[in-house]
Amino acid sequence: MTAVRAPSRTRPAAEQRRARYPDAEGYVERDGVRLFWERYGEGERTVFLLPTWSIVHSRFWKAQIPYLARHFRVLTFDGRGNGRSDRPTGATAYTEREFAVDALAVMDATATGRAVLVSLSCGALWSTLLAAEHPDRVAGLVCLGPAVGLAPPHPERAVHSFLEPLDTEEGWAKYNQHYWLRDYRGFLEFFFSRCLSEPHSTKQREDCVGWALEMAPETLIDTEEGLLLCELASFERQCRRVQCPTLVIHGSEDAIRPHGQGAALAAATRGRLVTLAGSGHLPQARHPVKVNLLIREFIESLGGKAR
Amino acid sequence: MRAREPDTEGFVDHDAVKLHYEVFGDGRPTLLLLPTWTIIHARFWKAQVPYLARHFRVVTYDGPGNGRSDRPTASAPYGDEAQGRSALAVLDATGTGRAVVVSLSMGAQWALWLAAHRPDRVLGNVFIGPTVDLALGEEEALPPFDEPYTSTRGWAKYNRHYWLDHYRDFVEFFFARCFPEPHSTKQIEDSVGWGLETTPQVLIAQHGAAGPDEATVRRWCAASRCPVLVVHGSKDEISPLRAGRALAEATGGALVVVEGGGHIPQARDPVRVNLLIREFAESLPAGGPG
Repeated sequence: MTAVRAPSRTRPAAEQRRARYPDAEGYVERDGVRLFWERYGEGERTVFLLPTWSIVHSRFWKAQIPYLARHFRVLTFDGRGNGRSDRPTGATAYTEREFAVDALAVMDATATGRAVLVSLSCGALWSTLLAAEHPDRVAGLVCLGPAVGLAPPHPERAVHSFLEPLDTEEGWAKYNQHYWLRDYRGFLEFFFSRCLSEPHSTKQREDCVGWALEMAPETLIDTEEGLLLCELASFERQCRRVQCPTLVIHGSEDAIRPHGQGAALAAATRGRLVTLAGSGHLPQARHPVKVNLLIREFIESLGGKAR
Repeated sequence: MRAREPDTEGFVDHDAVKLHYEVFGDGRPTLLLLPTWTIIHARFWKAQVPYLARHFRVVTYDGPGNGRSDRPTASAPYGDEAQGRSALAVLDATGTGRAVVVSLSMGAQWALWLAAHRPDRVLGNVFIGPTVDLALGEEEALPPFDEPYTSTRGWAKYNRHYWLDHYRDFVEFFFARCFPEPHSTKQIEDSVGWGLETTPQVLIAQHGAAGPDEATVRRWCAASRCPVLVVHGSKDEISPLRAGRALAEATGGALVVVEGGGHIPQARDPVRVNLLIREFAESLPAGGPG
């Protein structure tokens, strides 16, 4: 039995009104951790919008769901640590394998045999793992701004320790567990201003900060440490085993994960790379029409194989 | 890049002032989207044109002082009647018999002039955030426009000398007040950019053309016979909601309040405003030859 933190320290006053509400929703429980999923639309082909780093929950797909649900069956769930899912404690609860097995459990609970997996940032870690180990369940991969170690990070992000106390709070020094506990909102505002580097992103930043405040910094520290457990060598092997068609979409101005990481993932999976000029780390939020059309076009190019 | 390019465009000369117009679509009836205060030009309708042109014929033009129109620095071309007659010249140049007139802010004055003086050309009037001298209230009077400014804060910036010294700062101040809604950075940036396409000399000349006083506005409202829709933001800091309410009452029109909306709701709530304009235009009796 896993220890579980209370779902939320800072509950949002009320969720914003949605453009589209789910047709079905529910929980699936795995090893004592309850995961909240939603299903939208009908159709033979399922597009599964995966969780990313738990700093945000499934509402980060808000600009995709209403459009994609007009064409496909759409599945989402809140990754462990945020939203309406449980918040287990300890770094080992947040490895890429845990997220991958959670996703399979949601597919089983919703009778989803096969789906196109769409991931954002570190969601690529679990989507590629599923594609490598369960090729029968994965019809294709779309990876947005993948956070993968196949190419070097931005130099300014390699300077400061996450674990050790620092004597500065400037810039990326805020990416530090002690700072998170000291000034969680300060970190969030900094982080999402870097994620959403495009002008006129105030609404998207406000949304993301709000979602992140639905979890506690202690949980976010666990998730970060869980991701640090991911090994590059095994990830490279995992990418080589991916057989399904892959589309990587990466912003040219991504300040969180360099464009080179997306390019390397496309090469490693023999997939297609689409570069969004001027886009930051969250193109699904700032360039939703472009991203939605790319996802739809990709799924339709798979023909009957997407079922 | 625009979402929709015009099907035709051209210039019309009115009293030696060259005005640039554009025509989109070919539905019925025609909508004439009027200019407003010349601090911005016809692109302020950018969120209306692509949608409305799918359903109607849409005519826009740059008023005197901005866009691709001339920039007179005398006051005469900016007077109500000159503006009203400019609109008639554009209707004539585009072969438009009658149109639903849509106006923003100060454009209300010219739309009212049209309805009162040329009812045969106006099928209906949509007023968005109208600025008219009705229901004048307790607002503090603006500081003197022509005297040297003694303060540079707030509405003290609404001053001839301040404009000449710090034009961009005034423009940025003004549009920040126009858009009190959160997440308006893009709309403010657009508007400031359009504002910088004209000059303080032009705005000073425009300021010299006095608008219609309350008695005149009431006379025009009484003479207006066409259906009227007023759309007004509840948080309009430029033209208070009660002005829109008074205009709706004086014209026998309908009032729709955009809750939380500022002075330029067609930019910040375009879907809502577009649907209101469409619904209004479709509710009118067939307008005969466009």
